[in-house]
Amino acid sequence: MTAREKIFSALSAALDPLPERAPRPEVPHGVADAKWMASCPDVISLFSERLQEAGTACFESPGDLAAWMASQRPKQIFVPPEYDDLAATLSVAGGVTREYRRDRVNEIDATLTVAAGGIAESGSIVLTDKTSPDRLAALAPWIHVALVRRETVYRSIADALDALPDDPNIIWVTGPSKTADVEGILIQGVHGPGVQACLIC
Amino acid sequence: MAKQLIDTFARHLPDDIRTAVHDNSAAGTAARYRALGDDYDDYDSLRRLAGAIRQHSIENLDHYLAQAEESLVRNGAKVHFAVTAGDACRTVSDILQRAGVRSVVKSKSMVSEEIHLNAHLAAEGIESVETDLGEYIIQIDGDHPSHIVKPIIHKNRRDIARSFEREGLGDYNDDPAVITRRAREFLRGKYLAAGAGITGANFVVADSGRLVIVTNEGNSRFCLAAAPVHIAIVGIEKVIPSDADLAVLLNLLGRSATGQQLTVYTEFVSGPAPAECSSGQREMHVVFVDNRRTEVLASNCREILRCIRCGACLNVCPVYRQSSGHAYRSIYPGPVGAVLSPLLAGDKFKELADLPKASTLCGACHEVCPVDISIPDLLLRLRDKAHREHIPSPGTPPMGGFAVMGSHPLVWRAAMNFGAAKDYVPMLDKLPIPYLGAWLKTRTLPPWRGGKFRAWMKSRANRKKEEHS
Repeated sequence: MTAREKIFSALSAALDPLPERAPRPEVPHGVADAKWMASCPDVISLFSERLQEAGTACFESPGDLAAWMASQRPKQIFVPPEYDDLAATLSVAGGVTREYRRDRVNEIDATLTVAAGGIAESGSIVLTDKTSPDRLAALAPWIHVALVRRETVYRSIADALDALPDDPNIIWVTGPSKTADVEGILIQGVHGPGVQACLIC
Repeated sequence: MAKQLIDTFARHLPDDIRTAVHDNSAAGTAARYRALGDDYDDYDSLRRLAGAIRQHSIENLDHYLAQAEESLVRNGAKVHFAVTAGDACRTVSDILQRAGVRSVVKSKSMVSEEIHLNAHLAAEGIESVETDLGEYIIQIDGDHPSHIVKPIIHKNRRDIARSFEREGLGDYNDDPAVITRRAREFLRGKYLAAGAGITGANFVVADSGRLVIVTNEGNSRFCLAAAPVHIAIVGIEKVIPSDADLAVLLNLLGRSATGQQLTVYTEFVSGPAPAECSSGQREMHVVFVDNRRTEVLASNCREILRCIRCGACLNVCPVYRQSSGHAYRSIYPGPVGAVLSPLLAGDKFKELADLPKASTLCGACHEVCPVDISIPDLLLRLRDKAHREHIPSPGTPPMGGFAVMGSHPLVWRAAMNFGAAKDYVPMLDKLPIPYLGAWLKTRTLPPWRGGKFRAWMKSRANRKKEEHS
């Protein structure tokens, strides 16, 4: 008998004697929405508010982003090739690079990647392999800026789950990487970005 | 006098560790309470719904596990099954050897602790580095996690600073920010050099074939971004029917575990990275581990398989707070561990049969459980199991005398009539009656009132008789 057969026969032996099995409960859409969602303002205002509560800096114009980025003083920033206009607005000491390479993860300390969407309820950024094909680029630098288009922001977590894109890897990013392992003290930037930002465009 | 092992452990726990565990657990409970209270009017019904989803999932695991397998294969993942811990370890090392991998990075996974994967890989000559900050510290110290979510709740920053100094990660520095930054720099090199990333999974969605992995640090994401091979080790009970169920489960998991609406990184992995993706795993394996879960499913404690490993029951438990996780002598500590660990021990049930007794049955664990597991009921069932299997129980007062009295009315009546004599015995606590002294050390017995109820019953019966006549 293979391991698979052994496990499935043990499952049958355990479950077949049950007089009845627990029925599948109905999960109404939005049943786990936070209560304040009922009176929430428009989706983008909520998204912006929740991003900031999660510790993600939020900008609605490239100019504001550029000014903030200058204040962060990164060594070098990566901007994907198709965003020439945006690259032109950024002035960074070590310049803007248009190519992200894994042997340079420690030199490129800021990146801009394109998100597949956002979630207003939780202030999350949705990244997929299709829109940001280099997973390291969104994770390894100290500063990560995600570009989120207004029309791709879901209202709630439940809405985002209903419309999970067909992609082998989807990740929701809700604030900077963090830990509280040492004495429960919150520290940002463990393996991922210590500074997380979002440009809504 | 014989003590329960957990009492003995707790008695020898240094005060600073007890304080750290207590305060950090209490803070976890407070954060949970705030997060749920701020966001829901009636989170109890949400807990019950989550419990119903999980109960349905485990009672139909034959169906959902097969469906999950089919979906994962369709998505391009390879699916393996392992009956025992040893099988699971060998499955993982076989995959690594076939791929020619000598070094792996690992993100936190309770099932990998359960099967002692790191020790197995080390014996096979494969370097395996834990990347969760807490788990990394556990690994370099040769220690064991003492909490499901906060593995180093029992260590302070000075301990950690000394460990880092010993490992050559810089001079002694106990600033948590410096400790974290040093780990970041060191582990980054490990990720980039690793041939494979090993993760667990919080949920496996049967119909879409997605693994859901949540972390705050981003370490599981780094494993999946940097290494060409991904192996997920998953207990078979983690399967749920569909993505829509996650709306309930994810919303409760983060809030119950750490008081967060969502953990920072919530990752949905359904297959290997596409060719045009410049990073990510090219090969994806999912190892479904039984390791006695089917036995638990066949028992009258199957409800425990609903558990989503949030750690809320540990945080709230008065016994856990006083004794810390290592007192439970097993991978899963706290109330959930007191149920799960003896069950997963199989033939060694006897060795952990005392754990279900390490509870006052106060019910706090049931009240906080995001999937509404009635842990106190399960503890009672396991106490019953231990009793039926005649497993001796140190620290439990002998009840033989009571049994004789309770089953012989004459003896009982005599005891009730003469019991008042105890009011006149000086220094009752010095009598050589087992446990009496310890009990009386912190209590004063009230004056004897035994027999009053029987007298009242009798006079009542007589009254009724007179009324009728």
